Amino acid sequence: MVGFGNLGRALARILLQDGNPLQRRKIETSVVAIVDEKGGVIDERGLRLERVLEVAEKEGSVASLGQPGLSAVEVIRSLEADVVLELTPTNIRTGEPGLTHIKEAMNSGKHVVTSNKGPLVAAFRELTELAQRRGVQFRYSATVGGAIPVLSLAKRLCLGDRILAIRGVLNGTTNYILTRMEREGLPQDIVLREAQELGIAEKDPTLDLEGIDTACKLVILANSTLGLNATLSDVNITGISRITPEALKLAKEAGYTVRLVGSASSKGLSVRPSLVPLDHPLAVSGTLNAVCFELEYAREITISGFGAGPRETSSALLSDLLEIAQNL
Amino acid sequence: MELEDKPGQLVKVLDPIAKLGGNIQSVIHLREKKTPLGRLPVTVVFEIQDKEKLERLLQNLRDMGIRITQVGEKELLIKTTLLLLGHIVHSDLQKIIDALNAMESVRVSDLTLAVGGVGMESAARMSLLAGNPEQLVRALSLVEEMASRMGLLVVRCVGQ
Repeated sequence: MVGFGNLGRALARILLQDGNPLQRRKIETSVVAIVDEKGGVIDERGLRLERVLEVAEKEGSVASLGQPGLSAVEVIRSLEADVVLELTPTNIRTGEPGLTHIKEAMNSGKHVVTSNKGPLVAAFRELTELAQRRGVQFRYSATVGGAIPVLSLAKRLCLGDRILAIRGVLNGTTNYILTRMEREGLPQDIVLREAQELGIAEKDPTLDLEGIDTACKLVILANSTLGLNATLSDVNITGISRITPEALKLAKEAGYTVRLVGSASSKGLSVRPSLVPLDHPLAVSGTLNAVCFELEYAREITISGFGAGPRETSSALLSDLLEIAQNL
Repeated sequence: MELEDKPGQLVKVLDPIAKLGGNIQSVIHLREKKTPLGRLPVTVVFEIQDKEKLERLLQNLRDMGIRITQVGEKELLIKTTLLLLGHIVHSDLQKIIDALNAMESVRVSDLTLAVGGVGMESAARMSLLAGNPEQLVRALSLVEEMASRMGLLVVRCVGQ
């Protein structure tokens, strides 16, 4: 595991649980190394996760338990392992350090599971092609829609149908803010502060509010299902900063709500606040996400659920791990 | 339409409407306006999903020998709603409305304004009617273009 923040720890806790999804299928797993930005801890016989979690919670890093200063690249290169879980924070501009981690893993013949959008947005085709050349599996379900199996549903829909357009509410933070503004008639800055106190919005919410997080997910979704090789600069992005309580009130009077919607079709990629009829499946509330596929035969299929949260997103990582294990 | 004044004629007409998913809202017999040939004018009001279905239905009815004398215009219009956000009170919103109304088969049917606090941006909700989807697309891009020049943000319906 590379990166051991909230998500890595939530996954470790689930791996410790009796009857977790891997155990239920009699798949034996052992975590042989955990590396974070301060250092790493290695045990080729399998780490004692209880102890690692304890130290990580207390000190914010696992370094003191093993080797401070140990670099992720070194570990990925030198250690025997089937899968590298790349769980470091997203850098949307360079994709680093995740991009290097993933390439190193593939080049050393390891399968990769990641929750990190950065590398996929910066170098989607490069990575999928490298995985193919190296004969390794590359899974990134957790990058779009968190717990919701958006990407695997999309793949399935591509089999027996044709996706004409994808529209999604892909960012829980903005959706929460819009929902609260609509229900309470409060201005955006007040609702944002409330969301920050609840841990729903980050200290610097720019990526969410400006629609950039949504755009990243849209790029990954469009590239992996519509066969594009788009990057962030191909998306026409408008965030929610200009949405006022008055706008939401006018929308509601006419039977609509305003949601930040990412759209991908032959017309291009865009992220913009949109009027959504109150009875439309994309009119989800609070931190929920929803993705609506427009299809040639089946017309419309929508999936919704919690798009963020460490425990929720762990379920996406586990399904990726399981799929890899079943293909081994 | 004009029907022969004998039993079973109305069912013949209503059946194809229902079969194409139309929702029949009212049927009015205009007995006092019987034609010189003894045919009975009937007005049927119904909702149907899209223009293509309507065309198919009209063709089906004509093929059956039903005489359709008039198709109401309102049923041919499509409607959309959009929001305009920004310093609307001091903008040239009237110019957008004039430009839209000057387009063929496009009409601004409703405009509601919600004024923001002092120095804050306001919001306007506009309902647009258009004769067909292409005209709607053209009307919407005209709004986008003019609004962006005025520094206004357009919030359109999802999927449009």
